[in-house]
Amino acid sequence: MTTIRRFCCDDLLRFSSVNLDHLTETFNMSFYMTYLARWPDYFHVAEAPGNRVMGYIMGKVEGQGESWHGHVTAVTVAPEFRRQQLAKKLMNLLEDISDKIDKAYFVDLFVRASNTPAIKMYEKLDYVIYRRVLRYYSGEEDGLDMRKALSRDVDRKSIIPLKRPVTPDELEYD
Amino acid sequence: MEMEMEIEIEMLLVVREFKRDGRRCQKNPNCIMASKFGMAGGIPERRVRPVWDAIDSRQFKNALKLSTALLAKYPNSSYALALKALILERMGKMEEALSVCINAKDLLYKNDTFLIDDLTLSTLQIVFQRLDHLDMATSCYEYACGKFPNNLELMMGLFNCHVREYSFVKQQQIAIKMYKIAGEERFLLWAVCSIQLQVLCGNGGEKLLQLAEGLLKKHIASHSLHEPEALSVYISLLEQQAKYRDASEILSGNLGSLIMIEVDKLRIQGRLLARAGDFDGAAEIFQKVLKLCPDDWECFHHYLGCLLEDDCSLSILVNSPSIQFDCRISKASDFVENLVKEVANDSLRGPGLANLEIERRKIMYGRVNAEKLMGDLIIYFSRFGHLASFAADVEVFLQTLPSDMKKQLLEKLVKCIDSSSTPSKNVLGQYITFFKIRELIGDTFSLPVEDLVGFAVQMTEMYCQNLTLSKDLDVQESMFGEELLSMTCNVLVQLFWRTKHVGYLLEAIMVLELGLTVRRYVWQYKILLLHLYSYWNAPPLAYERYKSLDVKNILLETVSHHIFPQMLTSSLLLDVDDLLKGYLRFMDDHFKESADLTFLAYRHRNYSKVIEFVQFKERLQRSSQYLTTKIEGSILQLKRKANSIEEVESVLESLNNGSDFLDISSEIRSKKLTFNEDLKLRPWWTPSLDKNYLSGPYEDISYYPRQNLDEAKQVEAKVTSIEKRSLLPRMIYLSTHCASSLIKGNSNINGVDSKDFSELKSLLESYAKLLGFSLPDAVDLLISVSHGQKSFEVFSSNLIDWLNFAVFLNAWNLNSHETNSSEGHTFPINWQVLCCLLEQCISDKITSTKPLLSSPGSDLSILIQLVTEPLSWLVFIVQSCVRSSLPSGKKKKKGCPPDQSNSQLSKGVKDSVSSLFNMIEKVTKWLKEQIDKPVDADIDFLLSSLHIEENNDGPGKVVKILETLVLSVDDLEVGERVNRAIRSWKPVDVARNMVTAQGTTLTEFFSICESKLKVLQTLKHQVQV
Repeated sequence: MTTIRRFCCDDLLRFSSVNLDHLTETFNMSFYMTYLARWPDYFHVAEAPGNRVMGYIMGKVEGQGESWHGHVTAVTVAPEFRRQQLAKKLMNLLEDISDKIDKAYFVDLFVRASNTPAIKMYEKLDYVIYRRVLRYYSGEEDGLDMRKALSRDVDRKSIIPLKRPVTPDELEYD
Repeated sequence: MEMEMEIEIEMLLVVREFKRDGRRCQKNPNCIMASKFGMAGGIPERRVRPVWDAIDSRQFKNALKLSTALLAKYPNSSYALALKALILERMGKMEEALSVCINAKDLLYKNDTFLIDDLTLSTLQIVFQRLDHLDMATSCYEYACGKFPNNLELMMGLFNCHVREYSFVKQQQIAIKMYKIAGEERFLLWAVCSIQLQVLCGNGGEKLLQLAEGLLKKHIASHSLHEPEALSVYISLLEQQAKYRDASEILSGNLGSLIMIEVDKLRIQGRLLARAGDFDGAAEIFQKVLKLCPDDWECFHHYLGCLLEDDCSLSILVNSPSIQFDCRISKASDFVENLVKEVANDSLRGPGLANLEIERRKIMYGRVNAEKLMGDLIIYFSRFGHLASFAADVEVFLQTLPSDMKKQLLEKLVKCIDSSSTPSKNVLGQYITFFKIRELIGDTFSLPVEDLVGFAVQMTEMYCQNLTLSKDLDVQESMFGEELLSMTCNVLVQLFWRTKHVGYLLEAIMVLELGLTVRRYVWQYKILLLHLYSYWNAPPLAYERYKSLDVKNILLETVSHHIFPQMLTSSLLLDVDDLLKGYLRFMDDHFKESADLTFLAYRHRNYSKVIEFVQFKERLQRSSQYLTTKIEGSILQLKRKANSIEEVESVLESLNNGSDFLDISSEIRSKKLTFNEDLKLRPWWTPSLDKNYLSGPYEDISYYPRQNLDEAKQVEAKVTSIEKRSLLPRMIYLSTHCASSLIKGNSNINGVDSKDFSELKSLLESYAKLLGFSLPDAVDLLISVSHGQKSFEVFSSNLIDWLNFAVFLNAWNLNSHETNSSEGHTFPINWQVLCCLLEQCISDKITSTKPLLSSPGSDLSILIQLVTEPLSWLVFIVQSCVRSSLPSGKKKKKGCPPDQSNSQLSKGVKDSVSSLFNMIEKVTKWLKEQIDKPVDADIDFLLSSLHIEENNDGPGKVVKILETLVLSVDDLEVGERVNRAIRSWKPVDVARNMVTAQGTTLTEFFSICESKLKVLQTLKHQVQV
């Protein structure tokens, strides 16, 4: 049983059981608050009975012209609530907002090339590997830029994979 | 999960923004801007660029050189000066930076019209802000706005300054001005938010909200609204005035289309109707939401709450007797039944839980049919029992069951589990749920010890048997059955509490350590371990576990309570210092940047976030942990410097002689402290920071110890404790002053010193009151303890507070002895009584503390506190007396030969020096004995607690299973990684780490004592006649 609603500042004081997980980064305050201040529709939390935080998604919308897209910055689910397709629900919500409200062309995300379980999950959610970003993570590990086309991209041009990897400098957006 | 480049609201970013923006002002024809194209702050950009680049690449020395050259060329450029100030600030030269910045500001005021631009102003603003002179930044913008009225760019800058200063009224005024000039919706909303902030966070009356509503209405009439956020501000404004009907009508009208997600609109609509008292209408709306989102638990609660008219989250008052409960609840049942059919998705927990909730409500309303609730629970278990969240989901329903049924439920649940012979994830999940429910129901507290041992064995075995399920998992992924080890630990700790057999405690540690060897990322194990290690006087290990949790940023506020209290009373003073400083740095940094983020929300027109951000900052500022840390941080500095009178004095001076904290203390009650610690993750035996069941005798705390705690009482206790501690620095200061002024012989009844005495007395009175006594009663109690008429037990957990009190009381009392106090009241305390009290207490603690390995608990930390607090303060007071007795020329010379000035010292002071020396020597001797014990003997002693005697249910069985696992792991298919990890695990290593960590604690304590001995030795020498 899940209530999904907009994330608010007070949730930062309630998400410790999600963020203590070593795969979930606890960013500095300005990071969270910049997302809240700029893209509140892209930052949602899921709650279980008893108002326990199950997980959350944060993202943004940016780009110019046909690069106008939704971006998933972080999606995470507490161990207790895994295997309930919650990440899928949260991703679908962000895709919906990108598609219907902001009329974006696609949604993208970055994932560590070694994070096979996550890559598999995104593939199940219809994301494809668009390109490899060399040494994206702290100059050490490669990242994969994965994308899913939205209804505005009728010909699904945005997800045609690039033939060569790119370097972080070549990325259009941070 | 996946991160991207961090966005930093930092000054350099702002500087760069101006670079990238191509000077925004030029795009604005209203802006009076000095620079033509390619100009920055009146200087050609090509000349400034090298300075920017040097700053960007953090080559500040080079930047400074370049900026000096720039200034030589443009001596009258305020911008060039501002840049120099910025560089100086970055180099840490604060004073110089401020002076240059003030020069730049003066220059700005003198300069001609065309040289005021936004870039100069924003650079000045950044530097002033970083130097904590927001007011100066504001006055720069005020000046500029005065000079160029109606310039929107500058007005926005000024608005931003007011946001930074939290001047809500001024924000409102400037926003209204901007609105009048530009007529833009956003400026009106800025003004409306500023008004709301005056009411919610300032001292503005609620009438202001009417004004805001009027402004909005007028604007809507002529221009309508265009932003969804503007609409939500409008609605919130009406809600704050309880105009729910009006809000609901607006949402249903044309403006409602601004909210594009249908369910979001419906949720607001439902809430408004419910608050307006239209429960039927609201219930209907919530039904619609549930059809769209059948898994929305909160909405289902609102739905049921409206139907039954009892939803307190929507401020619906207690249900009226007129409602037909049966009819309405059956309506709810029908609705849920239909929902199940319509949804046709059996992976949703929602409808199942909804049925349970309906049954729970029936019981609450006296329609007791616990059988039905139990039946529904079992149905729900057979469908979702394997999920890790099951037990927590049904927690509230378990509470409703009568206790005899809880046992029945357990029997029925275990029958539901399909225990086929092959291990399966679902079966394991169901078992884990079953165990969790058994734990939740709490009857384990009344079961015999053998049963508990049986549970621990069963769960450990299950963990071992099911390791094969996880053989293909990545090390990063949670393994199946990890919870079993946490639950085993819980049972073992209970066994320890009951039997006082440390073997169980050691087993609990062993189980978790094995778990971490198998997979090092399990934070649940780390939290349990850190508490076990703290309890067993091994804070270095506890701290290590804590560090491995990687607690940072906002988690510092919610998670660090696990380690703070124990570390504060440990001997690891340096580590505590790091901890406290790290936390304070985070909080203070946030307070500095918070307003900029609020302005970001204004700029991006997310008005609801504006209010949220300001309220959130206030919440953090009122954090009890923040306040405690500030106070404890200062006390810690005093503890660390306690051996050098000069250093203590300089710490006290930096604290305004302790007066700052007195102000805090007097404000605490009006401040309404917030408690942001996430206590849910604490182990059962220590549900809050000041509670540890293991320290007391065994009692049946069955079912939810957490709920038995009286929250209001706890808050009161915390507030009292903070108040008490905040008096300490000032009392230390006054005590030393009072005592030494008497020695100097210049105590002046009518002068400054007399003021000190009376202030100290009033603080003693406050302190006694916080201890729950009047001053005379507190003294009586103290004296009767010192005479052995009462035991130290009467001080209970406030022992250290009481002894601190005794030290300060004696210092004050000297006045009455030596000057025949005009107040006519003396207390029967003197140096001798005080030392006797301390001596007795130290002896008691040494006796109860040893031997350390077989007596976990808080005695050692109390001993450490005794030495680092009351004893330290006393040494400090004595030092100060001795110094006063020396001729001024010799004050600074250590170990100076005795002379006749000693005669000024009372016998009491002299005796206390040797008495203090003896006390610390006693502790040191005891510590030495402990430290000198051979490590291997200690390890053997520890491990021997696990030896199973025949036909005995004592500790050792669980570790035996683990040892068998290590030996037989090759026969199990657990994968190479897990196999290797398990084979590497050795109980002796765990024991060795424990012994070593305890050794470190003792050694640290030993060195604290030794340094005090040296000081006392010198004092002894000085006071010899």
